[in-house]
Amino acid sequence: MMRFLLLFSRQGKLRLQKWFTPLPERERKKIVRDMTTLVLARKPRTCNFLHWKDLKIVYKRYASLYFCCALEEQENELLALEILHRYVELLDKYFGNVCELDIIFNFEKAYFILDEFLMGGEVQETSKQSIANSIEASDMLQETMEEYMSKPAF
Amino acid sequence: MPAPIRLRELIRTIRTARTQAEEREMIQKECAAIRSSFREEDNTYRCRNVAKLLYMHMLGYPAHFGQLECLKLIASQKFTDKRIGYLGAMLLLDERQDVHLLMTNCIKNDLNHSTQYVQGLALCTLGCMGSSEMCRDLAGEVEKLLKTSNSYLRKKAALCAVHVIRKVPELMEMFLPATKNLLSEKNHGVLHTSVVLLTEMCERSPDMLSHFRKNEKLVPQLVRILKNLIMSGYSPEHDVSGISDPFLQVRILRLLRILGRSDDDSSEAMNDILAQVATNTETSKNVGNAILYETVLTIMDIKSESGLRVLAINILGRFLLNNDKNIRYVALTSLLKTVQTDHNAVQRHRSTIVDCLKDLDVSIKRRAMELSFALVNGNNIRGMMKELLYFLDSCDPEFKADCASGVFLAAEKYAPSKRWHIDTIMRVLTTAGSYVRDDSVPNLIQLITNSVEMHAYTVQRLYKALLDDISQQPLVQVASWCIGEYGDLLVSGQCEEEEPIQVTEDEVLDVLEGLLVSNLSAPVTRGYSLTAIMKLSTRFSSVNRIKKVVSIYGSSIDVELQQRAVEYNALFKKYDHMRPALLERMPIMEKTATNGPSEIVQTNGETDSTVLDTKHPPTITQPPSQGNDLLDLLGGNDVVPVIQTSLPTKPPSAGGELLDLLGDLSLTGAPPPAPASVPSVPMSQPPFLLDGLSSQPLFNDIGTGIPPMTAYNKNGLKIEFMFERSNPNPNIAVITIHASNSTEADMTDFVFQAAVPKTFQLQLLSPSSNVVPALNQGNVTQVIRVLNPQKQQLRMRIKLTYTYKGSPVQDLAEVNNFPPQSWQ
Repeated sequence: MMRFLLLFSRQGKLRLQKWFTPLPERERKKIVRDMTTLVLARKPRTCNFLHWKDLKIVYKRYASLYFCCALEEQENELLALEILHRYVELLDKYFGNVCELDIIFNFEKAYFILDEFLMGGEVQETSKQSIANSIEASDMLQETMEEYMSKPAF
Repeated sequence: MPAPIRLRELIRTIRTARTQAEEREMIQKECAAIRSSFREEDNTYRCRNVAKLLYMHMLGYPAHFGQLECLKLIASQKFTDKRIGYLGAMLLLDERQDVHLLMTNCIKNDLNHSTQYVQGLALCTLGCMGSSEMCRDLAGEVEKLLKTSNSYLRKKAALCAVHVIRKVPELMEMFLPATKNLLSEKNHGVLHTSVVLLTEMCERSPDMLSHFRKNEKLVPQLVRILKNLIMSGYSPEHDVSGISDPFLQVRILRLLRILGRSDDDSSEAMNDILAQVATNTETSKNVGNAILYETVLTIMDIKSESGLRVLAINILGRFLLNNDKNIRYVALTSLLKTVQTDHNAVQRHRSTIVDCLKDLDVSIKRRAMELSFALVNGNNIRGMMKELLYFLDSCDPEFKADCASGVFLAAEKYAPSKRWHIDTIMRVLTTAGSYVRDDSVPNLIQLITNSVEMHAYTVQRLYKALLDDISQQPLVQVASWCIGEYGDLLVSGQCEEEEPIQVTEDEVLDVLEGLLVSNLSAPVTRGYSLTAIMKLSTRFSSVNRIKKVVSIYGSSIDVELQQRAVEYNALFKKYDHMRPALLERMPIMEKTATNGPSEIVQTNGETDSTVLDTKHPPTITQPPSQGNDLLDLLGGNDVVPVIQTSLPTKPPSAGGELLDLLGDLSLTGAPPPAPASVPSVPMSQPPFLLDGLSSQPLFNDIGTGIPPMTAYNKNGLKIEFMFERSNPNPNIAVITIHASNSTEADMTDFVFQAAVPKTFQLQLLSPSSNVVPALNQGNVTQVIRVLNPQKQQLRMRIKLTYTYKGSPVQDLAEVNNFPPQSWQ
């Protein structure tokens, strides 16, 4: 399973954090610090895999954002790259040419999309269309509320 | 109170902050507003406030006061509230919080909600961070949902079940019935999550595994699904670069791996499909290679036929040549896993692997290095070592320590010749000397002492290396030890192998003294050089110079150096007669398979009593340079003198041992105490002897089937030899002599000495006593150990001295009648 998934900028600012195992706050902060240090130190044309403690770290850079996940020993790293790519595609489809700012201002949406794609560190749905439909339907539920309240929910 | 600002507004505002302090101020203001809003129990804006709190939490600010608010949001009827509430719960709460349990009821209700998206939220939250108690409480609900026909919920329930099983493995049983027809679903989401669930169950429980293999016939089902995926046409919904649902394919391959492991039938059933996937998958993009990678892992792990295995390793070989770094990395990792089992197949790719040592990528270099060491064997050692040494020269510091250790290990196992071995060690010490691990210094020293014929060559090369560079501590330590030991060979200029260099005693002492004063030398290194200088006092003639150096360091600030110097001084002043024996050439140190130090401790134990036993000083055999009466005896240079176990036999940090022993002598100034416990070898040995050793006694009166022999029998003195093979090292013969006296008077001051030809090495341990009682009332026993690496015929000359009825008696004899088994 995947242990965690992090998104951070080239300056090391965290944009999204998804944890699939229970960890205390202090531990999470430390891991984020370690990951940003390790990944940002990597030279441009090195491979996308690292070893950290007993986990395999897979990272990929998309424009100004680093997508970084940690896998257990028996997981397939090459497939993890595909998983990260699929997530970016989902975001791209939703936001239309997604960029870092979209994720900053709509972080909760990024989480909702992720929760339709992964659960408990495993892939939940392999069809892009299916995920897009679910998100759309959920958004509709929310909007109905908003229309009813005639003001944006948040 | 005005409406709290909207989320996006807050984000925009915070991003305008120019400094950390400004940001912190904004955040604190907003937090205060949010807190008061929470206190007012404002339902309308709770959602907005928690969302803002989550944003601030991501920036790194504390948000714990929002935890209860998340619960209230979850309990709300509005979907928007629930969405943010559950998100907040997943981010802010972890198992340690008490509020966690309060969620259970809400989740239970939501699992039964009429809207599937609400059910989905509940399942997702439970499946990501449900604690064991929550899982226990809600497992039933999850199981119910696993049987629904709604594929949206079914797939989520499956992964939620996986989480429940991970948290509470005992609950696995209850999900079994629901898995019955999971694989007949058409929906890929459900298929994928079902495979994950089945994988989890099979991995955790061997019973489940065999159930699924036999009763459910899982393998044929999976093979069928996989086949459909490969053979079916283009499916836009699941296509990735021309491959149909790679995620599902990989998962199926992984489950097949678990099912096929150590099971012939299952493995056979999947042979075809594996071959098909391996040959038909498109390899131009990463996704195809991901599938191939998983296929290779599966093939190597199950009981596949050999053709398939070769196919798998060839795929890995092709990976090694791929332009994509990730694929090369993955190939090296897999090869490392298979090198033990399919060694020959991997050897075929050795040259490609060695090329990877030159890759620019650090991760790849590391893998290639590990794999290269695994591939080294007796045949390719020379070529491989050349490449590895070149790598050692040019690699990053982070690799040097591991590479150096690897080189030493490989050299030890497969060295084609002693000279090659020593050259290799020298090369490592000079290029990566400061990265070599601490324990290699004693190992190297032991190796060097064992290569008797290479001593002159070794010490010359080390000396030259020292002249170039004294900054690398392990090199300096080994070099100073060797110079201390073999300084005489260095100065005499004899060397068969190389151009001998002309060095004077003063030059050598200059170098060693230089080490003592240099800032580059570590304290340990200084200790080594001081001891080396001291040892040279018996090998060189410029003793006065050495005396001066030693006395200077008697007042050194470094306590270790000071102590050594003081004791060496004492050696010069009061115990000069003992100096030659103490500083003699070291005997060869044996390598124990089990535990080096215990062996050394053992001989130390022996020497303790030898040295303390000064009432009957063992006849000290002088080192060759000072003449040797035994040598005279044996008429020439063809015999190596007996090496009485002098102390210390431990490598130079044995300066400590030296000190311990001399501690009694020099500090008190009193005459050495009578031998406290003269062990009657082999019966009573100092306790620590037995501590580290394996249960085999090394000294055993009962010969192992080798008949004892009478070596000498004259004038009432009879000496018998009893044989025993030394268990750790078959080249060593252990002989116990038994001296008995059939005359009517005791023989006192009895001393036994022996000498052997040059190709042997001999070690004489301390005798049980120096009095051979009259009328065969008792024996004196003593142990001799003979190293006979060339398995030549053993012959020995012995010299006996004793006092009989007041007058000294001395006799010489040759012993040639050794039984063949003792030296073959």
